[in-house]
Amino acid sequence: MTQVNITIEDIPVTGQGIVAKLVKFQGQLDESNVDEKSKLIYQIIEQNPQNLYLLFDFEELEYMNSKSIGYLTDWYGKITQGNGKLAIAKTRSNILDILQVVGLTQLISCYPTLDEAKFALLRANSTTAPAEPTVSVSPVSPAVSPSSAPVQSSVTETPAPVAPSIAQTAGNEPPTIQQIKLE
Amino acid sequence: MDNTQPQLNPTQPAAVPVATPAPVAPQTPVQPQSVVPPIPSQPVPTQTVTTQPSTLSMIENLATRPIMITITLPTNAYFLSGIRDFTLGLIKNMTEFSEQWAFRFQSVVDELCNNAIEYGSTPGQDIKITFISVPHQSIEIHIEDTGTGKNKVTAADLTRMLEEKRKPNYEFKGLRGRGLAKIVAEWSDELVFEDTEKGGIRVKIKKMLNDPKVQQDMAKYLESPNHLVLS
Repeated sequence: MTQVNITIEDIPVTGQGIVAKLVKFQGQLDESNVDEKSKLIYQIIEQNPQNLYLLFDFEELEYMNSKSIGYLTDWYGKITQGNGKLAIAKTRSNILDILQVVGLTQLISCYPTLDEAKFALLRANSTTAPAEPTVSVSPVSPAVSPSSAPVQSSVTETPAPVAPSIAQTAGNEPPTIQQIKLE
Repeated sequence: MDNTQPQLNPTQPAAVPVATPAPVAPQTPVQPQSVVPPIPSQPVPTQTVTTQPSTLSMIENLATRPIMITITLPTNAYFLSGIRDFTLGLIKNMTEFSEQWAFRFQSVVDELCNNAIEYGSTPGQDIKITFISVPHQSIEIHIEDTGTGKNKVTAADLTRMLEEKRKPNYEFKGLRGRGLAKIVAEWSDELVFEDTEKGGIRVKIKKMLNDPKVQQDMAKYLESPNHLVLS
């Protein structure tokens, strides 16, 4: 299973009835682990069905696939149904690229720093707050080397896989072709 | 792009044409009393040299020849992180696409492999991934499954499904379905579904280097202070 670590901590808030949490993702979310790891977020949502404010720290998230995008959309829907809020902070440029191409940045605000995200998230509930926070998207450049952040809670070990075989071939064309020209 | 050039062979001479010397007429010697018949003139054989391709043209040939790499992978999502890393490294180091596009192709390969594993093949089988890089032109990526998955579909089915999902008013509900329509299709110039002889599906995507969006990204990449052009 690809390694990913999710840590959750409370964000102190003064507003009554509001539960705010910082969720930090480290590693990669893909087909091998996203179903299992998504349960953590669903647990938080079930425990706090109303007025839940979640701030996702994506600084050390190296990759997310389309299924994790699907989960993100589902979390957003459930949280906002309960008058809650969801925001994302410190996204790497490749992650932001994925969020933009699937259109999720039109739904969920992305902020370059945690402070800006917290301010926008918590200020949005105050009576004197402006209607919508401005989206300031300045992605963090992705590090090419894998994250070396220390593991803080659950660790998913990744045993060494069997090396795939690599060969050079001259491919032959199959008989039936369905082609789509993309504009 | 890292154009590793083969080393010049310093002992191999450049081909040089050899001039054919003109035949020389034999001189008639001054004869004493005895007459010696003149040696009949023999035609001088023409020397021909077979010219070899120059070393420079061989190097140019290697630098422009398409590169094809095929990987066979067990149908297990477990191995996809390795394939993603491989794709990222290959695009960054062996093509002229920018880092941003390397990350995009990483997503494209991951999404297509997921589909091939999830829908196109059963556990214990293999999927095949082929990368074809045409220097200065394009990258093609082919993903092929065995067609033994739970819900068998044809290339025509996939084409219809994709066209439906590409409509502007289409609403994505549920966790799945975004990979092909939103990620793969957006980051490709051509997307082809083919039925293979073995009953599987082969998905082929192609991205041209001369696409304006790619060129725009490359311009930003070249403007980076970390990018040095050495002459």
